[in-house]
Amino acid sequence: MAVCIAVIAKENYPLYIRSTPTENELKFHYMVHTSLDVVDEKISAMGKALVDQRELYLGLLYPTEDYKVYGYVTNSKVKFVMVVDSSNTALRDNEIRSVSAGDWRTTPGWWMFRKLHNSYTDVMCNPFYNPGDRIQSRAFDNMVMSMMIQVC
Amino acid sequence: MSVPDYMQCAEDHQTLLVLVRPVGAVSEENFFRIYRRICTVSHPGVRDSQRRALCIRYRHHYPPENNEWGDFQTHRKVVGLIAVADCCSAKDWPQALEKFHVQKEAYGATLYDSRLLVFGLRGELAEPPRPDVAFYPSYDDCATVEKRVEDFIESLFIVLESKRLDRATDKSGDKIPLLCVPFEKKDFVGLDTDSRHYKKRCQGRMRKHVGDLCLQAGMLQDSLVHYHMSVELLRSVNDFLWLGAALEGLCSASVIYHYPGGTSGKTGARRFQGSSLPAEAANRHRPGAQEVLIDPGALTTNGINPDTSAEIGRAKNCLSPEDIIDKYKEAISYYSKYKNAGVIELEACVKAVRVLAIQKRSMEASEFLQNAVYINLRQLSEEEKIQRYSILSELYELIGFHRKSAFFKRVAAMQCVAPSIAEPGWRACYKLLLETLPGYSLSLDPKDFNKGTHRGWAAVQMRLLHELVYASRRMGNPALSVRHLSFLLQTMLDFLSDQEKKDITQSLETYTSKCPGTMELITLPDGLTLPPVPFTKLPIVRHVELLGLPASLRPQKMKSLLGQSMSTKSPFIYSPIIAHNRGEERNKKIDFQWVQGDVCEVQLMVYNPMPFELRVENMGLLTSGVEFESLPAALSLPAESGLYPVTLVGVPQTTGMITVHGYHTTVFGVFSDCLLDHLPGIKTSGSTVEVIPALPRLQISTSLPRSAHSLQPSSGDEISTNVSVQLYNGETQQLIVKLENIGMEPLEKLEITSKILTTKEKLYGDFLSWNLEETLAQFPLQPGKVATFTINIKVKLDFSCQENLLQDLSDDGISVSGFPLSSPFRQVIRPRVESKPVNPPESSRAGDFSHVKTLEAILNFKYSGGPGHVEGYYRSLSLGLHVEVEPSVFFTRVSTLPATSTRQCHLLLDVFNSTEHELTISARSNEELILHAGECQRMAIQVDKFNFESFPVPPGEKRQFANAEQLEEERREARGLEINSKLGIRWRVPSLQRSGEASVEGLLNQLVLEHLQLAPLQWDVLVDGQLCDCEAAAACQVGDPVRLEVRLTNRSPRSVGPFALTVVPFQDHQNGVHNYDLHDTISFVGSSTFYLDAVKPLGQSACLGALLFLYAGDFFLHIRFHEDSRSKELPPSWFCLPSVHVRALEAQA
Repeated sequence: MAVCIAVIAKENYPLYIRSTPTENELKFHYMVHTSLDVVDEKISAMGKALVDQRELYLGLLYPTEDYKVYGYVTNSKVKFVMVVDSSNTALRDNEIRSVSAGDWRTTPGWWMFRKLHNSYTDVMCNPFYNPGDRIQSRAFDNMVMSMMIQVC
Repeated sequence: MSVPDYMQCAEDHQTLLVLVRPVGAVSEENFFRIYRRICTVSHPGVRDSQRRALCIRYRHHYPPENNEWGDFQTHRKVVGLIAVADCCSAKDWPQALEKFHVQKEAYGATLYDSRLLVFGLRGELAEPPRPDVAFYPSYDDCATVEKRVEDFIESLFIVLESKRLDRATDKSGDKIPLLCVPFEKKDFVGLDTDSRHYKKRCQGRMRKHVGDLCLQAGMLQDSLVHYHMSVELLRSVNDFLWLGAALEGLCSASVIYHYPGGTSGKTGARRFQGSSLPAEAANRHRPGAQEVLIDPGALTTNGINPDTSAEIGRAKNCLSPEDIIDKYKEAISYYSKYKNAGVIELEACVKAVRVLAIQKRSMEASEFLQNAVYINLRQLSEEEKIQRYSILSELYELIGFHRKSAFFKRVAAMQCVAPSIAEPGWRACYKLLLETLPGYSLSLDPKDFNKGTHRGWAAVQMRLLHELVYASRRMGNPALSVRHLSFLLQTMLDFLSDQEKKDITQSLETYTSKCPGTMELITLPDGLTLPPVPFTKLPIVRHVELLGLPASLRPQKMKSLLGQSMSTKSPFIYSPIIAHNRGEERNKKIDFQWVQGDVCEVQLMVYNPMPFELRVENMGLLTSGVEFESLPAALSLPAESGLYPVTLVGVPQTTGMITVHGYHTTVFGVFSDCLLDHLPGIKTSGSTVEVIPALPRLQISTSLPRSAHSLQPSSGDEISTNVSVQLYNGETQQLIVKLENIGMEPLEKLEITSKILTTKEKLYGDFLSWNLEETLAQFPLQPGKVATFTINIKVKLDFSCQENLLQDLSDDGISVSGFPLSSPFRQVIRPRVESKPVNPPESSRAGDFSHVKTLEAILNFKYSGGPGHVEGYYRSLSLGLHVEVEPSVFFTRVSTLPATSTRQCHLLLDVFNSTEHELTISARSNEELILHAGECQRMAIQVDKFNFESFPVPPGEKRQFANAEQLEEERREARGLEINSKLGIRWRVPSLQRSGEASVEGLLNQLVLEHLQLAPLQWDVLVDGQLCDCEAAAACQVGDPVRLEVRLTNRSPRSVGPFALTVVPFQDHQNGVHNYDLHDTISFVGSSTFYLDAVKPLGQSACLGALLFLYAGDFFLHIRFHEDSRSKELPPSWFCLPSVHVRALEAQA
């Protein structure tokens, strides 16, 4: 259901970016790139909150005409950005309900990012991975692909 | 209304719009000069006790359709017109006036007042002066323009004030006109104007209008009250458009109150020029802005209270900052209901964003902006699109969304050159693109990319760079596009695909064919500078090493007394601190020198990261410190080559310290200066080297053929030339060396040394000898001149075949070891030649003899001259000499035979010809012996015995450290040399015309030596007073007593004796029978036994006796030692007494 998934380093450069319609990849690059403004803003807004109490899921960053961009930031300021087709309403509808109820964990977006985070943690655990390099893990790739293909 | 004003901000609501127009032909320059002067009068103080602030907004262009919305929001209304006219002569005047009236009519419905400023006339018109026209002689002479404008604004204010009062004092009974926006007009046709609903609508709209007027007239509190009332009224009748306007008015008034510095961000100072408010305080909230809501009771439902003073006192009906945003949101949501109010909605959004930016609420601001993006206006012209995207970008920048800002700026840039535009604005596009760079965190300085791998949004950045390249090319600035393309190639190389690399380099080459890339800083008109882009990655340099000169040209410092390397700074020979410092110095300085005028080399290890062949042209060195003539190289690196060595060369023209900073290249037509300091991951072993003054260069050629055979590398020196020669053992050859000065300096000094490489072979005599004087006489050798020099090569290896062989032969029975001193062979033995065919086993051994031995030596030529010599430098050139020594003759066996005289002996040598040619051998050049190939013959040489003791003893001090063995060795060598010089054996190969000597030095063993040695005890036997030592017999007469004297001379360094000697006579029957029974024949006068006393060194002793021969005959006397008297410790050869041959003759009568 996601059309583009990106992992952004603390210094705001991409560690990983993958999108399904490969013919217009640049569009998603722009989209993810500009979404970082919102991520930065959201992080600075909640900067004062205690680290362990902070919610990592940033929710909807901004909508465009065709897509919605969701964000997630780890405690080490690594960002995950997911672009979802606007026509896919499942994610959004559930989310609005859950967020208003104050429970992030029931949102599908939260779970997807959680999965991404876990996979990213696995990548970091690889002793041959140099933090800051582009992610080239096949396992991570497969996981991302599965999230993009997934039909809701 | 269709043209949005993106620059609007909330405080514009309090301004009066004044249009300044040129009338007739007014040059733009002149018009704007006046326009700027008019604009300075933006906050004229109104001469009024109420201290009201009045704001004027000047426009030089305003679409009349926007003016039609003036009732909706009064700040959109053009209330004043200032026309600027240019009249050269009086006859232009009527025309100008007419045009002024046309202008006035266009905005006539809303104008309060107007003025015409005429330049060029001096009031010479006959017409009576008009109040609305002012004449100025020229644009430079119009000091009263500002004054006039102020007057004009005062008149505007009076009109405004009157209108405000007029509207505010409308009686409730009077019919309030319905104000409406242009598109509403037809909706209200036929509506019941008497309904309550309609009346309320009219009231609400009028209240809002009054609020606007109050705000413009500087009565902020009044306006707030009016707006509040209007909101209430309009809300009740669901007049959403106007409700929105009322809410927006409320917001604007509140914003003006809260943020006196203004929200547009740039004009805070302009608005409060005269005020003492500090700029930083401008954005702060005004304290005490209480949000006490208006008392509903103060609102009258059926009319407008004429007196608002009571309400003013009641409350400060200002909105709180949070409420402002809520109200803006509400207003915008109402506007959005009307498609025709798109511009209003858009402008409201922009205004709200500006407010939010000040409040630092970026997230909400971005929502407003997002909304603004979606507002669909009618079909926008391209220019308007550009404007719209630019302003969006600016607003995003304002709220800190740099990436989003960059995104829109890029969209705007692309819009400038959209295909639908007839004349694409490449310049504008380029300018806008440049502005997006920070948003994409891209700097155009390649230095920022030197630190490790590039981290960034490569795909996005690459696209931007491509666009920059394209835009700059279309702009007609090829230098710029080359610079951008170089930058793209250099910095994004890791992210480019092979195809992209190819494409980019191809286009780069096409661009550079017109405009080569340089290393100059490109400065853009707006002040941005583009630093040069050196191609440090094309090719990538991994290692830089300065190479010393080749060994033959390397300068060396003459050793001073102190030693060059010793540091005079410290008294310590070694200190870890010094060592550490040296290590640091070594990083920069290198321990070899370059020489002025000689080609120097720097080696680079490079590789080509491109998937195709890379042609690097004009690659040379960048240096400083010394005038350096770089000789550029061109190279072609294969696709994705591995490390590839490249040598860059140059010639230093002066002396001093030279530092290699980097290299320059031309790749794809782009010149690059790559500095080593800026290269990442480069290994360098120092870059500073000393250049010493020029030295001459020597070239050596020899008479011998050059040899491919190189000497063992362990020799340490590097050999420039190798020559080889084949010689027979014992042969001598001359080597003629031609010395040519091929340098530019005279050759003044030459020293030659030789070094024989360690060889297992024992070498006798001087291998190499020369005489330098002759050569030195030709010095100094001018450049281009040749001198010759002769070296003698003499090879004298061991002529014994093999040690063990010699040993075997010594034990051989054939050998005459000569040990029995009293040899029976007292007969005359002539030196004889015993022909002896080679035995089969020996011939097989001959194979061993023929094996070729090699000798190697290095001749070292140290030379100097010119300025380098003055500085104490020299060069050394080495000539390797490789000599193959073929065996000539061998002495397979050596032995001695005593000669008849005790002072002489025979040396027997078995000579073996190991060559393949016939060979003659001679000793002392008296006799020649012919040896066929592989033949072995014995030759005997009679030699005088040697008195070795008389050889000079090595000096005492030498003896101290030479141990006994060495001493003995030396003595042996000395003896060998002595013997050899006496023998003078020479061989000759007639067929080859070659000759040489043969030395016995190596094959004389101790035994043979002892035999050849003259005994220190010299015994002389005198018969009848005659010395009897030769073969000749002493004659005597029978019956006469013959005196026999035995004399001993002691030449040994110690005393010997005493000895007892017995004279034993015998007769030799010549058939092997000795007859000792001669008692009847010989009688002794006295004793037959002599006693010799002890003889001191250099002493003499003699004993006398007599013999009486009774018969004639040949007699021999054998003088024998008594067994007991002989000193055991003395060698037996010392006691070699001559035998005496006496011939007794019949006495003659």
